[in-house]
Amino acid sequence: MHDYASMVEMLREIQALEFAVYDLALFLDTHPCDKRALEDHTKLVHRLNQLRKVFEDRYGPLRLDSQSPYPYRYINDPWPWEIHY
Amino acid sequence: MTRSESMSKGHDGMRLAEAYIPMQTFGETFDPRTALMYGTIFPELYRPYRPKHGKPHK
Amino acid sequence: MWFYEKKLQYPANVRGCDLGMAKYLFAQYGGPDSELSAAVRYLTQRYTMPIPQAKALLTDIGTEEMAHWEIIGTLIYKLTDGATPEQMRQAGLGDHFAQHDNALYPHDAAGVPWTAAYIQATGDPITDLHENMAAEQKARTTYEHLISLTDDDGVIATLSFLREREVVHFQRFGEALMLVREHYQHKHIFY
Repeated sequence: MHDYASMVEMLREIQALEFAVYDLALFLDTHPCDKRALEDHTKLVHRLNQLRKVFEDRYGPLRLDSQSPYPYRYINDPWPWEIHY
Repeated sequence: MTRSESMSKGHDGMRLAEAYIPMQTFGETFDPRTALMYGTIFPELYRPYRPKHGKPHK
Repeated sequence: MWFYEKKLQYPANVRGCDLGMAKYLFAQYGGPDSELSAAVRYLTQRYTMPIPQAKALLTDIGTEEMAHWEIIGTLIYKLTDGATPEQMRQAGLGDHFAQHDNALYPHDAAGVPWTAAYIQATGDPITDLHENMAAEQKARTTYEHLISLTDDDGVIATLSFLREREVVHFQRFGEALMLVREHYQHKHIFY
C-alpha cells in the first residue's frame, strides 16, 4: 500500500501532463497543419500514457475501461472532489 | 490617421462590420507544471488578473 | 460518446468552510454565464458547424467546460462540507437548504434555477461563434468578480486557472470565426 501523499503527487503530475496535451490539442483544432505543435503533442501524449499506466497499476483505474484487479477497484474512494491536493 | 480610422477605411485587408482575431503562431511553451499553474501552455496567451485594491479592474 | 476520467482537471483546494463564498460560486455552477451553460451551448451548436476545425473545437471546448463544471462543484462541495442547517441559514443558504440540504443544484448565486434560455444555437455559425466569444468574456468577468470576493488562496488559484481558460477559449473561437468566414468566402457565401 502506498501513502496518500505519493498518490496525490503522481495525480498532480498527470494533471499537468494532461492539461498540456489538452491546451495543445485546442491549438491543433484550429492549426491542424502545425508540425511543431503536433510533435510536442505526440511527445507529451507518450509521457502521459506511460505515467497513467504506472498510476493505475499502483492506485487503481482512472477510467471504467481500464483493467481492474478483483474486486473491481474503479469505485474506490477517494473520488476527485474528496481529495485534498 | 489612427489605427481604428485606418481600419475603418478597409485597409489591412479588413472589411467593415466584421470582427478579427489574429491566428496564433506556434512558439515557445511552458513546461506542463507551469502550464497547469498558469492556466495555459502558451506564454503569449497568459493574461493574469491583477485586482486593484481588491476591486475588479476595468 | 464520453468516458469519465476519475480526476479533476485542476487540483482544487479550499482553506476551510466558507458558506458565503460557496453561495457566490453558484454563479458559475448554474448561472447564465456558468460552466454548465458553456458546456451545453458548445456541445449543442457543434452539429451545425460547417468545417472540421470548428466541429472539433466546439466538441473539445464543450468537453473541457464539463470538467470546469466539476471543478466549481468540487469547490462548493468542499466549502459547504459539514455545514449545519443553522450555519447555512445564517449564510443566506437557508432557501437552498430547504430544497436541497447540502446537495449541489444548478442554480445561480441568488438561487434562480438554470435554464436553456441562457444559451442559443441559431444555425448560423458566424452568429454562434460571436455568441461564444461573448460568453467567454462574460465568464472571465464573473471570475474576476468572484476572485475579488475571497481571500482563500486555494479558491483564488482555482478561479484564476478557470479565468485564464476563458482567455484561451476566446482566442480559439476567434480563430474558428476567421476560418469559417474564409470557408464561406471560398464558397462565395456572404453573411
